[in-house]
Amino acid sequence: MKVRNLIFNMAPVLGLLVLVIGYFVVGTINGINVTYGLKAVVNQSVVVAVVATGAVFIYTMGSFDISLGASTAVSALVAGMVYLRTENLILTFITSICVAVLVALLNSVLAGVFNLPVFVTTIAMLSVLNALILLLININGTGSEVKVPSDAVKSLDTLGFKILILTLYFAICVFLFDYTPIGRRQKFLGGNPLCAKLTGISINKYSIIAFVICGLGVGLGAFLSIVYAPTLTRSTASSVGMDVIIAIVFGGMPVSGGAKSRIYAAVIGAFSMSFLSQIMVMFNLNSGVGQMVKAAIFLLVVFIAAGERKTRTLPR
Amino acid sequence: MNRGSLSVGKRILGTMAIPLLAFAVTFLVCAAKGVALFETQGNFLAFFRATASVMLTTFALSINLNSGRFDFSIGSVALLSSVISATIALNLNLSAPAMLVISIIAGAVLGLISGGAYVITKLPPIIVSLGMTLFFEGAAFALTDGYGVSFVTKAKLTGFPSITNYILVIIAALIVMILIFDYTKFGYEYKALLSGQSVAVNMGIREIPNTIGCYMIAGSFMGVVGFLSATNTGTIQMSLNFGSIGVMFTAFLPMFIGGFIGRFSNDKLGYLLGAMTTALISLMYARLQMDSSVQQIITALILVVFLIYLNNENKLVELRMLKAKKTP
Repeated sequence: MKVRNLIFNMAPVLGLLVLVIGYFVVGTINGINVTYGLKAVVNQSVVVAVVATGAVFIYTMGSFDISLGASTAVSALVAGMVYLRTENLILTFITSICVAVLVALLNSVLAGVFNLPVFVTTIAMLSVLNALILLLININGTGSEVKVPSDAVKSLDTLGFKILILTLYFAICVFLFDYTPIGRRQKFLGGNPLCAKLTGISINKYSIIAFVICGLGVGLGAFLSIVYAPTLTRSTASSVGMDVIIAIVFGGMPVSGGAKSRIYAAVIGAFSMSFLSQIMVMFNLNSGVGQMVKAAIFLLVVFIAAGERKTRTLPR
Repeated sequence: MNRGSLSVGKRILGTMAIPLLAFAVTFLVCAAKGVALFETQGNFLAFFRATASVMLTTFALSINLNSGRFDFSIGSVALLSSVISATIALNLNLSAPAMLVISIIAGAVLGLISGGAYVITKLPPIIVSLGMTLFFEGAAFALTDGYGVSFVTKAKLTGFPSITNYILVIIAALIVMILIFDYTKFGYEYKALLSGQSVAVNMGIREIPNTIGCYMIAGSFMGVVGFLSATNTGTIQMSLNFGSIGVMFTAFLPMFIGGFIGRFSNDKLGYLLGAMTTALISLMYARLQMDSSVQQIITALILVVFLIYLNNENKLVELRMLKAKKTP
């Protein structure tokens, strides 16, 4: 039984290992430069991994934020516009963090003060942020993009810088999640909100903390987006919102949150999805077929990781 | 609130208040800007098309969401079913009604696949729907090599959009929805599972067939949505990486409005009136040629304000009672 549980628990990690091995084997057989491909994997994964790591705090409480991609885009656009005015990268960095944290605070305070379901608040926020993206691009004058000069961020567009940001943020999150009352109480709230409330844990307080930590990740993700692709358009970070959900689930995080939540799920999931995408590219599959295979593997891995289900009723 | 305890007048007022208010506001705003809300036949066509599409999407979303099953895949079902039906209709030179039937069948089959994946894997529905969205979008892309489908020159198919046809679609869908969920054993079991899943299952209600049935009905409605969208423009454009989920977001406001109206009459009728409300707002945007970003912000604000009201209604009642007590 213990071995079986261990396999279920380790399924996402094993899945990532299989994908890494698969990537090198397929790449070598097809005569593809795997080192160059690795760079692409890191570039694809790092923004999603950073944003998703922060989002784990929200998911742990059994909540759900669908506006993270749009929030990343708005933060990147405002920060990009600040750079165009000031040509100061530090100010750009601070702006992207502040805007993202502000949006996160607005989400959590709206939900807390007005007693709204968090998910519904984030749906409305998604609409507002998507509109803001259009407005910000129009305000900039060109009507289609906010262009930060690539030379300005060239020095930061390195694997070292990106991995450093991810590692630092991940370390902070691991500390907060596994070694402080913040993580423990959030797991308690996710597992049994009524019981947690009766023991004196404030849902609103921990919800705001979760959103602020997540906002920090969104801000970092926004800055990394500027560094990687300094020409910001409507499609900047457009897929991040859904990729974050996929990454978290793929990494073995239960969507209902609670005690089984894992902080490392986001990083494992983000890198797994990128390796999978790279393997699809190596097979030179039609984009549609590639996405179908990706979907099937996603469901299979999550199914294995979920383990045995003994309930008489279907999960909701 | 017990519907039966309300007087007929209150029930009619509660049912019609939101759509009438929406009509009055949109009419007056347009009049203030010197524009008529309904001026040409095209305005009526746009209004009924939007009502039909949004109402059907709201039906599809609410069937599963009311039971706690969040389904991201409804947009991709509309996309893939319209690709299948349009491809078959083009190859066999079929008419629009035949394409509509194929679209409904394709939607039901895709719903069966979605629901089947859910009951077999027993994973949370939100996760299964993410996988199915990717799968269906990929399938639609692969079927058309990414080019989509175009039948702009096929008058047989593009001739479908008309006010009469849209009204017929609205009436037929509303009757089907009310008949299935309010007057059949399937509907009673659905309601039992909705309000007490464990108790219903312990009483012998078979949850799996009911759930699959719900996915198939939702899929059929989305098949019609796909058909309406395709015949309106004569083209079907491809979406990958969750590009199809936007369709789902159009249904949230009418669904909450429908839930509110349901307290006074029937929730399905509420979804129709909710869809009419959003269609009126959309028409106002179009008539005033408002920027799409402003449109999105106003719609989001309406949603937030409405939800704040719904979630704090009891507090307002308490406040009123407290005031009444204080008054000598």
